[in-house]
Amino acid sequence: MGQHDTYDAIIAGAGHNGLTTACYLARAGLKVLVVEKNDWIGGAAVSRSLHEGWTYSNCSYVCSLLRREIVRDLELPRFGLQVIPYEGGATFTRDGDYFAYLSDHDALRREISRHSARDADAYTRFSQTVIRQCRFIRPFLLRNAPDPTSLRPRDLQEMLYLGRKAHGLGAHELNETLRFWTMSIGDFLDEHFESDLIKAHLAGSGIIGTGLGVYSPGTAYVLLHHYMGDVDGSIGAWGFARGGMGAITKALGDSFTEADGTIVTGAGVEKFLVQDGRVTGVALDNGDEYRAGIVGSNMDVKRTFLKHTDRAALPDDFVTAVERFKIRGSSGKLNIALDALPDFPAAPKGAPFLRGDLHCSTTLDELERAYDDWKDGRWSSEPYFDMLIPSQIDPTMAPPGKHMMTVFVQYAPYDLNVGGVRSADNWDDIQRKAFADAVFDKIEQCCPDIRRHVVHAEIRSPWDIENEVGLTEGNIFQGELTFDQLLFNRPVPGYASYDMPIRGMYLVGSSAHPGGGVMAAPGANAAREILRGLGRRRAMPDHREPLGAEA
Amino acid sequence: MAKSAKIPQPFAVPIGLVPTPLQPRLEALSQAKAWAGWAGYITARVLDNVEFEYFAIRNQVTLFDISPMHKYRITGPDALAVMNRLITRDAAKIGIGRVGYAMWCNEQGMVIDDGTIFRFGEADFRLCCQEPMLTWLLDSAWGFDAEIRDESEAIAGLSLQGPTAFSLLAEAGFGDAVAGLKPFDLDEVEPGIWISRTGFTGDLGYELWCGWDGVLALWDRLWAAGGNWGLRAIGGEALDIARIEAGFIAAGVDFQPVHGAIRLGRGRSPLELGFARMVDFDKGHFNGRRALLAERARGPKHHLVRLDIGGFRPADGALLYHKKKKEVGHVTSGIWSPTAKRNVALAELRAPYGGAVKGDLWAEIYVNLEGQWDKRLVPVRIEDKPFFTHKRARATPPNRF
Amino acid sequence: MSAARDFDVIVIGAGHNGLAAAATLARKGRRVCVLERSDTLGGMAGNFSPAKGVTAPRMAHLLYNLNPKVARDLGLGERIPLKTLALPSVALSPDGNHVVVEAGKARFADGRAHPDAAAFAALHDRLTRFAGLLAKMSENPPPGLQGSLLDPAKLGELIRLARLGLGLKRLGKVEMREFLRILMSNAHDLLLDEMGDGPLAGLLAADAVRGAFAGPRSPGTVFTLMYRMGNGGNVALPVGGMGAVAEAFASAARAVGCDIRLGNGVAGIEVADDRAVGVLLDDGTRLGAGAILSSAGPMPTLKLAGIRHFDTEAVRRLRHHRCKGSVAKINLVLSGVPAIPGLPVDLNRGRLVIAPSVEYVERAFNPAKYGEMPTAPSIELLLPCLSDPSLASDGRQVASAIVNFVPPAPDGGWTKARRNALLKTVLGVLEQYAPGLSGLVTQSETLVPPDIEALTGAPGGHWHHGEMGFDQVLTNRPANGMARYRFGVNGLYLCGAAAHPGGDVTGAPGRNAALQLLRDGVA
Repeated sequence: MGQHDTYDAIIAGAGHNGLTTACYLARAGLKVLVVEKNDWIGGAAVSRSLHEGWTYSNCSYVCSLLRREIVRDLELPRFGLQVIPYEGGATFTRDGDYFAYLSDHDALRREISRHSARDADAYTRFSQTVIRQCRFIRPFLLRNAPDPTSLRPRDLQEMLYLGRKAHGLGAHELNETLRFWTMSIGDFLDEHFESDLIKAHLAGSGIIGTGLGVYSPGTAYVLLHHYMGDVDGSIGAWGFARGGMGAITKALGDSFTEADGTIVTGAGVEKFLVQDGRVTGVALDNGDEYRAGIVGSNMDVKRTFLKHTDRAALPDDFVTAVERFKIRGSSGKLNIALDALPDFPAAPKGAPFLRGDLHCSTTLDELERAYDDWKDGRWSSEPYFDMLIPSQIDPTMAPPGKHMMTVFVQYAPYDLNVGGVRSADNWDDIQRKAFADAVFDKIEQCCPDIRRHVVHAEIRSPWDIENEVGLTEGNIFQGELTFDQLLFNRPVPGYASYDMPIRGMYLVGSSAHPGGGVMAAPGANAAREILRGLGRRRAMPDHREPLGAEA
Repeated sequence: MAKSAKIPQPFAVPIGLVPTPLQPRLEALSQAKAWAGWAGYITARVLDNVEFEYFAIRNQVTLFDISPMHKYRITGPDALAVMNRLITRDAAKIGIGRVGYAMWCNEQGMVIDDGTIFRFGEADFRLCCQEPMLTWLLDSAWGFDAEIRDESEAIAGLSLQGPTAFSLLAEAGFGDAVAGLKPFDLDEVEPGIWISRTGFTGDLGYELWCGWDGVLALWDRLWAAGGNWGLRAIGGEALDIARIEAGFIAAGVDFQPVHGAIRLGRGRSPLELGFARMVDFDKGHFNGRRALLAERARGPKHHLVRLDIGGFRPADGALLYHKKKKEVGHVTSGIWSPTAKRNVALAELRAPYGGAVKGDLWAEIYVNLEGQWDKRLVPVRIEDKPFFTHKRARATPPNRF
Repeated sequence: MSAARDFDVIVIGAGHNGLAAAATLARKGRRVCVLERSDTLGGMAGNFSPAKGVTAPRMAHLLYNLNPKVARDLGLGERIPLKTLALPSVALSPDGNHVVVEAGKARFADGRAHPDAAAFAALHDRLTRFAGLLAKMSENPPPGLQGSLLDPAKLGELIRLARLGLGLKRLGKVEMREFLRILMSNAHDLLLDEMGDGPLAGLLAADAVRGAFAGPRSPGTVFTLMYRMGNGGNVALPVGGMGAVAEAFASAARAVGCDIRLGNGVAGIEVADDRAVGVLLDDGTRLGAGAILSSAGPMPTLKLAGIRHFDTEAVRRLRHHRCKGSVAKINLVLSGVPAIPGLPVDLNRGRLVIAPSVEYVERAFNPAKYGEMPTAPSIELLLPCLSDPSLASDGRQVASAIVNFVPPAPDGGWTKARRNALLKTVLGVLEQYAPGLSGLVTQSETLVPPDIEALTGAPGGHWHHGEMGFDQVLTNRPANGMARYRFGVNGLYLCGAAAHPGGDVTGAPGRNAALQLLRDGVA
């Protein structure tokens, strides 16, 4: 028989959101326990040493979205978090040319002009629209989504806030906003640019992590989920966390333990314990049980309620809604240890853009076809990848002279189609290797000697991500970012305020508003709701823009 | 897209600022080593000393490299129609061989940019402006029989400004050609060299235009003729003082070019900027006309005004108050005018201030006195006229000095 | 410039929307002239004669979304005769287990109960209810933020919005939430959440994307499905073919004094002092008017008036107006009735839909995205003569097939070879369900998007004059700043399906545009 300690609150899952909730609660004076099934903390924001001498950010790999308010509140820099902006990026063509995204404004203009003189000014218009949309959406990240069906004063207040923000745009801009939010990234880019290469370079952000194609409506909005962050106030910029993405969760963990929080690793939640409609604690898979009147789940909504909660404790319509929540595995990942920096023949020696995100998809059609493959249950024969070599900037990631390469791949299906049978069980070592080969073939387009430099490669299918991290189907956002699953519909209608049908139980991860990305906003918002429920809302900083103070 | 696989080294495009053809001369002249970026090119902020450079503008003659300006050529049967669709004034009224100042607006009547239009022929125009405009021009010309060409890197420009500018040109051998040029006239004085009697100082001055490759020689020619006339090369800071004295507005300073503004409501209309005379509602449709008509009926929301500011401290960025209490605007450009011996500024006020309400306005100025900050509330007065005007600016043929 | 005012209003195009607009204006006492380039009425809703003694619907072939207010105002079916026959829908299955949908209920064609019958009925009922609420928004200009609260039009708008809100509230909290969830969702997920994939789900998926440049996985396709169900969604065959609908609209217009002139193409719209004052006809005639309504597409209308009269941004938006036609129409004359194994003979008259699964429909869309030819298109087939024998003599049959999806502009264009290949592909698909059908074909016509555009003026040959995605409906239909029928120049209005609420034979854009014009007091 295991332990039976009692806490004020228990958080299941030590991902960045779970730790954020835990931190805020512990700092508010609650006695908080975090339980984690893996032997390490971090969820999908981890630094792992899977090959002697190398550190992999083996899930999420770059940082931008982490809300600066949270970084400051929880003093993450004091606990070692350092985020370093990276220097651009490039998409390589098949014929030895490239489009480089350069951080120098004038050079970027010239580089765009090299491909299309017309597109150089168009980029200004593109950025204007995207940054406007980001500025519009950012204040909504750290507040609850308004529920239009509710008449509770706080929902009405949030509706009023939304209404005022929308009205503040004016009719013209509101229409542009409605349009942007509902259009496809492909159409959006087609409206701005004529160069296929530039379009393809910019389109990736609209599809990363989603089961949608570049021409699917709603993907322009997904782009925002990659642009609405910042590095030191520079909206849309991305950076590396020094020491890998685990540095974020390590800082959160340290901030938490300093506030007297307790973390138990190596034992996952088997069951959320419920009595008379109230949560009473958690039972772990090692037999331990912990008691608390408040339990937050950092697991996605499907895993939380369909795998680890008694169905009898839940309303039927809620269960149906959760079953219908779409969490689609669409991404794979390769983490590669390299014995040297490989050569990119098209790039000038020492080109700064090599220290950024690299791609080889050169047209929107190619990206759309990659999606068509996925719809059929196959990985893309010409996959889109987002490839970085952080060890060029971060000396902690690989031995001197050696390098670590992270390759995020879109698309890879969860239920792999082999011989007409679609099943996650099809992901065996042979398929995994074939998948990696398809990715390496594509990388060779820009980096012909890549295979020669590989010391070790970790190949992660959606199934592997699910299995290790616990994300259903390996979906990096804990649920598709489509409008039927955003705002008041996230995770399911009527439960968008973090509190779940079981009293005392909260959803604190990216299945909740505002959704995925290493943002930590759901975790912070959930903490605010938990403290509000305890009548202690003032126990954590409130970052909500007051009504009428819109800039 | 069939592109050759040639790999330029080290980079396909230069990183950072690039020199104009005149950089060797400027580099040699520069004492201050104060460089800045202008449209991706290196430009001198100051070459020697702002004060001396400024007085050379008002007293002798100065040379300034304006090659980084964006220049676009609009030609073809529909060129006039395209220009008239673009700008708010009537392009037909800019004669051949003339230059006209113009503004152009988005559909909401907000200024995209201002600039000068050179008319070379019935259907041949050049637009010279601060902001990149190629895409907008192509969009404006869509469906018209007109060709848009970016001449920014084909055509270089020199600004020769000051009371002895004409004398210098005469000594350089351009005298006969420019003697008859009235303000805003334009002529090809020698094959490949165009001179317009234009400038940004409110004084006598010319702008010389030639091919990118020929501008170094043209500079040398002017420089050789400059000795007797006090020629001085200058940087942008001195010019900025002169342009504020002359009451000229600058894009990105006194108004925000609307295509670059991230925040909503930052755009300003020609009516708000005080350029109602530049809007010709009777010429047919032009971009933003319907919005501007509505604004005219409703009244502008802001007023850009010239201010005489009390005290002797430049008021750049100062907040403005009505009755010392209500914040009603801010200074967009403020300087001490060395010629007018006044503290002057351009400022934006929220209507009705600066329009119907003109009195009892105050500026809040922060002054740093050797490490100690002092806040001063000084009275301001709205001025109708530019702070600097001189009849020599208009005399044709021009005076010797 | 023609200063003389020959008419109060000139309507360009005698499609059903143009005619609805004309009739609405004439009823209010305006002198109206309708100018139609072709020699036939109706635009998409017209008949033609593919062979002597045979009448066939040229493009659209069924009526299902006629706006009741339009019908009432025009007196269709009352003062103006218009008879329709309700048709069942049949989801054909490759294994012969065809599914019949009638009055919102599904069953197998042989009478067996369908396992998803209950789920289908519940979904159909729910969608119809939701669609009914949305349909209320079809009867007025889209709501916007413009105007002061004191403006009576604005007040009316707010009241209507409040009514919509109230209607939502009346659904009850659970249904209201479901409405808000699925509104922006995709047909694929909605259908497969409720039922297994197969012909029944495929039928709804095909309905959701017919005419659209989108597959059922595209978000926004639940909205397009609901749009078509705004008036119940039951399909009906007009007696006399779709041309009878056009004739009815025209009769209604003529009855109130409209002057309808066929074979009168408009070469230009005259603008003076930022006001539309008349039109110039192809033959050089000028006609003056106080206002012009155009049921042509936005870009053709803009070009008729002259680009210089429009702001650059407006032109840029319309240059990117999403109107890629994805439908081909194949009209066949058959020497007899084709046999469809598994389908009782009396159901041959139904709307026969070949969309055996949602995945099939999604896959049918794939090639069109890349300008490639379809290999397994989704088809809506109708044999109208079975219901209306007057359409053909000598036992001949018309087979009218709407084919999704074809590329709007395949590489190298729509050559004769490509058209033949398309016909062959379509016959091949039909053969799978109706073996021997090819042998009955005595005549065929293949209309691809450029043909549809040339014949009707529908931009891009798009079935709905423009994509009905969320980015292009309501206040963004056809484009931001042009969504309330007013088309830049004073006195110029858009009254076709490119305007709110959009496509289908509804008459609503025409009626709404006419009412807006009257409210604006321009003619």
